[in-house]
Formats: sequence, C-alpha cells, structure tokens
Amino acid sequence: MNYFRQSPAQSIIGSSSRFLAGYVLVSLGVLLAAGGGSWDINNHLLNKPETFFAPPHAVLYSGAGAAVAGAVILFLTSRRTGATIRPIKLVVAGVIILVVAGPVDFAWHSAFGLDGLLSPPHFVLVSGMIASSVGALAGMVYHGSMAFRELRLHPLLIIIGVLPVWLAASGMIDMFSLPFSRTDYFDFNPHPALGVTVATLAFPVLISVLACSSSALAGKRFGVMTAVGAAFIATGMLTSIVPNGALVQTLPFYAANIIPFAAADALLSFSRSRISLYAAGAIVALAFFTLYYPLITYTYGKVLEQNTIWPSLMAPTYFKMLGTVMPLVVAPAAAMGILGAAASGKLIAKNKAL
Amino acid sequence: MLLRAIILVGPVAASLALYFSLSLYVFPQSYQIEPRRPEAVITNVSLSTAEVKLEGTFVISVTGTNRGEEADMQIVSIGFPNLTRADNIEVLKHIFVQTPILIDAGKPVGSEYAGNGRPVDAQYASVEAFSRPWAGGSSYNIDLQVRPQTEGMFAVFVKSVAFPHSWDGAHWPHEGISDYQKEFVEVYHVQVTKP
Repeated sequence: MNYFRQSPAQSIIGSSSRFLAGYVLVSLGVLLAAGGGSWDINNHLLNKPETFFAPPHAVLYSGAGAAVAGAVILFLTSRRTGATIRPIKLVVAGVIILVVAGPVDFAWHSAFGLDGLLSPPHFVLVSGMIASSVGALAGMVYHGSMAFRELRLHPLLIIIGVLPVWLAASGMIDMFSLPFSRTDYFDFNPHPALGVTVATLAFPVLISVLACSSSALAGKRFGVMTAVGAAFIATGMLTSIVPNGALVQTLPFYAANIIPFAAADALLSFSRSRISLYAAGAIVALAFFTLYYPLITYTYGKVLEQNTIWPSLMAPTYFKMLGTVMPLVVAPAAAMGILGAAASGKLIAKNKAL
Repeated sequence: MLLRAIILVGPVAASLALYFSLSLYVFPQSYQIEPRRPEAVITNVSLSTAEVKLEGTFVISVTGTNRGEEADMQIVSIGFPNLTRADNIEVLKHIFVQTPILIDAGKPVGSEYAGNGRPVDAQYASVEAFSRPWAGGSSYNIDLQVRPQTEGMFAVFVKSVAFPHSWDGAHWPHEGISDYQKEFVEVYHVQVTKP
C-alpha cells in the first residue's frame, strides 16, 4: 500500500491556490467581458458605432481572454490532480462557447453590419459567460468548503464570484426585454408586453437569488450582501451612467439603491428565520426598477408607447414613468423576490448535502 | 421576542421608507433636467451646375451646422422628388460620423420632427446624413453625385433636423414648403435638357 499517494480530495486541497487562481481569473474575465458588454450597449445608444473594432468590444474580448487563461489553468491543474469536478467542466464548457462565439460574432458583423442586442452569436456569447461564471463561483464554493469544512467563502471571493454571474445573467435578461434587436436584416425585438413581463419577473428573482446566496455564503455576516450590491451599483454607474454625460447628475439617485441591500443584509444577519429570508428576498427584489436604471427605461417606454427615447432625455423620461410603473411592479417583484430567496435557500442546502 | 422583532423590523421599515421616498420623490424632484436645445442650420448648399443634360450628372454639396447645444443626433436630409430609386445617387465624400443612408421610395422614415416615433413610407429617393452625437458648434459636409432620369425641372429638397427636437430652432428651414414627412424643406433646382 502506498501511504504517500494522495487521495483526490487531498491533491485538490494541495493545488487549491492554483485552482483558486483559475477560478478568480475566470470570474474576473467574465466580469470584464460583461462590463464591456454593458458599456457596448450604451455606446450603441450614444455613438452608433459601425465597426466591430470598438473600445467596448476590446474590453469584452480582453475579458474573454482572461477567462480562457483561467480555464486553461483549471483544466491543467485538474488533469494533474486527476479529479475534474463538475464546476471545472462547466467553466471549460462555458469558455469553449465564449471562444467559439468570438469569430462567429465577427462573421455576423461582417455579413449583416451593425447587429442588435439579441443575435445568435450574442446569445451564445452570453450563455458561455453565464456557464463559466457559475462554474467559477461553484468551484470557489467547493474549494472553500473543503478548506473551511463548511459552506463558506471569503467575502472578497463572494464579490468576485457573484458579480460576474449577476452581470452575465442580467445581460441575458436584457436580450429578451430591451427593444434593441431590430436591424436592417432581422427583427429580434421582443413584443413590448413580453419584454416588460420578462424584466418584471426575471430581474427580481435574479437579484434575490444572488443577494441571499451571498449572505448565506458569508455565514449571514452583515456586510457581504451590501458589498455585493455596492459592487453591482458601482459597475452600473461606470458602464451605464458615467458614459452618458446627461445622466451623471443622477448618480446619487442610483447610489440610493444600496439602502434595500443594507436593510436586507441587516435583517438576515440578525434573524435566521425563514420569514426573514423571504422578507430579505422581497426587499432587494423591490429595488429592481431603480437598480436597472437607466436602460430599463427603454423596456417600459416601449409598452408606454414612448417610441423614441433620446439618450439626453433618458433621465426625465425615466422619472416620469417611475410613479406609474413602481406601484404596478411592487407586488410581482416582491413575490419573485420571495421565490428567489426560497430558491437560494434550496441551492445552499443542496450544496451543503454535497 | 416581541422586542427583538420590533428592534429588527423598525430600522428595516425605516430604511425602506427612506429608499422609496428618495427614489420616488426627493431625487426626481431635485433634478431639473431641461431638454437640450440644439440648433440645426444648413450653412451651405452648392450645385455644380444649374443645367445638366439627360444621362449626365451634377454634384450637390451640403453643409450642416449645429449652432446650439449638443444634439443626440442631427440629420441632414437631401431629397430628390424626381427620383424613386437611390441608385442614381452616389456619395462622393462626407465627413459625418456615421455612414449616410440612401433611401428608396417605400422605405419607412420618421416624420413630424419625431424621429422614428411617427414612421411614414418614403415617397421618393433621398439621402440622410447624420452624426450621433453632433456637438454644438460643429459642421459636417456631404457631396453627392446625382443622375437625373427625366427631362425638365429637377428638384432637390434640403433640410436638417436635430434631436431631441425640443424647440423650433431644432429644425431648418423654419418655414416654406412642407414635404410628405410634414417637415419644412428648402428647394433647389437643376434644369435637365435633352442629351
């Protein structure tokens, strides 16, 4: 019997820093790619670029490059340890999708010129971003739980892991809700009612699942959910508000989104009851309409028959519709928030069982 | 237990009240966002000739300027009521930020200074040159080569519209002939003679 031979779990722990580097690189790569994607949407609104070689695309594909490097590290390390766990398979699959989507996107641009938000290559690209970021987060949780012997993660890793998942999944919801997908060749725009339905139901669930999961991964310690919310708000400011000079003065309004996160975070850190979890989910979900400002103006503007929203008038248009939309979306958003909190509880329980 | 619940619920409810009052009332009221006032002007129109033989071509050069605040977009539109197809028009050169669009009759275009908000079908060929955004004080120029298809008086309609269309100064000209888009145009002519 070879007493020096390590078990797969031991060798995984032994290579944990390399695994961690791989996961972090993938997450940061997707974060960069998703941030670049968000900037790209605004760039299309403001400057109507006509070439594939635009600065936001450079950021997007630099992020994809970082994700590829991370996936390579993970793949090689897992081959060396002889244990390719499911999160690594998910990361590798996601990154392969990302790599394939790049040239397909370029070819699509070459064939059809300016493309819309929802196009086959963009759908593939965002799917790859979601798969790889979810894989990286799950991998961090897996290795973190082996080190801590419980389902916990360092607060910084929670932010690094959760934020790209949030941004990539938001990108997917944007594709099926924003009316930015009509071009000379194709009209992939969702029906206005469908767009509003998707946004009203999907954004609150997403916010709730990720915010409640962040809190759970931090052992319900106060601060982490708020920090994840703050990171999302900061990203939104940098990619959606600051590039449009007309919106800069609304930064304090957008910053107020931190309040529901802090309230929900406090609730969860002081009370472990199921009701508190559901209440926290509902509270963060209620903020979806202000959290997805300014682009959500276009989704709801379409159904309110405001067909042309000029970038410089986005803020007054949004504030005009805020009083109409908010009372209508409070109930479904809260319900979806509760659903998201329940799903988060299930997800965490399932991971604990593993 | 009850005290603990009150201690917990009180601050959370207060936070939510603060969030909703800030988001729905305080901040929206505090932003006095007035629409920008771009001023669209056509500063130069020149025709290479006043008379051209059928099958021949002439060149029209148009310069648009924004004398007001930055426009999200400003369009210089050059319409040809005697043409239905834009393949008789060639863009020789331009300095606009985006590529000018050649429009055939039947294609949907905006109207009534509302952008794409009130689309109508184009009734004749035209060229829409635009910059998005168009900074205040800057000018853009386009040169077109046009081949008339019939003898007689060949008309050219020129106009410029800036968006957001927040005041009357956002379009040029301010009066005169109105085209099918219910927008004012300045009319220029070239006499087309037998070859």
